[in-house]
Amino acid sequence: MSAAPDTIAPVLHARGLQATYAGNRAVEVESLAVAPGEIVGVVGANGAGKSTLVNALAGWSRGAPSVSGEVSLDGRRVDAWPTHQRVRAGLLLVPEGRLAFARMSVEENLTAAFAPQSGRGRRIYTRDEIYALFPRLHERRGHLGSQLSGGERQMLGIGRALMMGPRVLMLDEPSIGLAPMLVAQVLETMRTLAQAGLSILLVEQNVRAALEVVDRLVLLERGRVVLDGPAGQVGADPRIAQAYLGANA
Amino acid sequence: MVNLIQQLINGIVLGHAYALVAIGWTLLLGVARLVNFGHGQMYMLGAFISWWAVSDLGLPYWAAVPLAMAAGALFGLAMQRIMLRATFEQNLVSIMIMTLGFGYVLQGVAALVFGSTGQILDTPLSQRDIEIGDLWLTWQDAAIVVAAIVVFAALKWVLDGTRIGRLVRMVAEDPKLAQLAGIDVRRVYYGVFAFEGAAVAFAAGMIAPRTPILTSMGFEEVIMTFVVVVFGGIGSIAGSYVAGVGLGIFAALFGALVSPAYTSAAAFLVLIAVLVLRPGGLSAGAAKGVH
Repeated sequence: MSAAPDTIAPVLHARGLQATYAGNRAVEVESLAVAPGEIVGVVGANGAGKSTLVNALAGWSRGAPSVSGEVSLDGRRVDAWPTHQRVRAGLLLVPEGRLAFARMSVEENLTAAFAPQSGRGRRIYTRDEIYALFPRLHERRGHLGSQLSGGERQMLGIGRALMMGPRVLMLDEPSIGLAPMLVAQVLETMRTLAQAGLSILLVEQNVRAALEVVDRLVLLERGRVVLDGPAGQVGADPRIAQAYLGANA
Repeated sequence: MVNLIQQLINGIVLGHAYALVAIGWTLLLGVARLVNFGHGQMYMLGAFISWWAVSDLGLPYWAAVPLAMAAGALFGLAMQRIMLRATFEQNLVSIMIMTLGFGYVLQGVAALVFGSTGQILDTPLSQRDIEIGDLWLTWQDAAIVVAAIVVFAALKWVLDGTRIGRLVRMVAEDPKLAQLAGIDVRRVYYGVFAFEGAAVAFAAGMIAPRTPILTSMGFEEVIMTFVVVVFGGIGSIAGSYVAGVGLGIFAALFGALVSPAYTSAAAFLVLIAVLVLRPGGLSAGAAKGVH
């Protein structure tokens, strides 16, 4: 099922992952792997289980799904770990929706809650580097989280994650609320980060934009992986071309 | 005139006592969105442990209060352990019933252990008076005022100016997002409940010497604390201080000028009026979260 290169051990590997909401199966993924420095795009229609999937990998949710299955980070099983422990190990999620602490300034939002450990393939960004990456955040550093636009909140969420030394960065719909220019900039940033060795799992509804940067594309339908392959190949698949690229054109 | 100033002094002391009793609950509400209707009985427990440590163990008052605080913190941790699931689910109805239950169990056990007679907790300060002309208060009263100010200022400083405080504010605002920032939210909840237990026991050790202590006194305490916490604007530290002191002065003056029998009823009338006019309490506009 997985198209990850067999020779390189995946950074993130999920096996038999299931998530159910009140008995309804939202996600059932036999195998999903992300290799070092790889960007994997997860696409699918609304309600296909994209968010549920990345949330399950992070052991996190604003709802109360019951999750089972194996999740390994660098070969270590993390599925029994609470969210904060996975975060500290470098499995970082930038969720969809609320990303900023509304009553804290941007500066305070971008202050690490713990001292991240630098390790294999983990690069810890400083606040100044985040400001260099997103100059807009620097301009807004004294503003409260509640005063930020949707796009600024996305930058804040990505910035906070980078400051925690990600090993795997999971982004849930980062293009929501961003102007097209900024979408391109964020995806460009993702490319640069991946080239530096960061593994990225990118949930995107904007399939066209996703295809620009991802190495591999996974198509979810009703919680199951129906396509998984190199971006060029999967992008040409009629199921993608008709249902997603056609609809988005 | 002298009587009025004396009542004002009484009110200030009473008000700082209200505020000091309420501080643990204020933090609890601000951070974990939890109510604790066992708060009054935890106050009672703190008073009795202080009294027991002095009268039976023969400890000095200065050692008895920290002992009561340690017991309060442990009790708070045990409560949170039992309610952890409900806390994460923000199941307020369960939490209300459970804390009410804890309170009554505590009251029953205390009645069995300590009996139903009122006890007096004497301290080195409560028997010494400060007299200025015709005006009068005890050194214990003065210590309550100082302690309340110090505890409020310290809590405000910790929340606004330290790393721990920042983590607590993050959990207060969005516990789910705090998890993704690498915070062990469960530990913060435990810490807040331990603080609640220790703080109310400290308040009891300071304030209980003013009146005879009874195992049944928790109910009155929980009601007045609830008024202070709601008045101050849910979870607001500064708001609770202002509300506590204001309520104390109001109660003292109302009691002296109108009738002490109707003080609670009058306090609730004012509370209802304030909540109608300013739904967020005194710190409306910034009522959510801890400040």
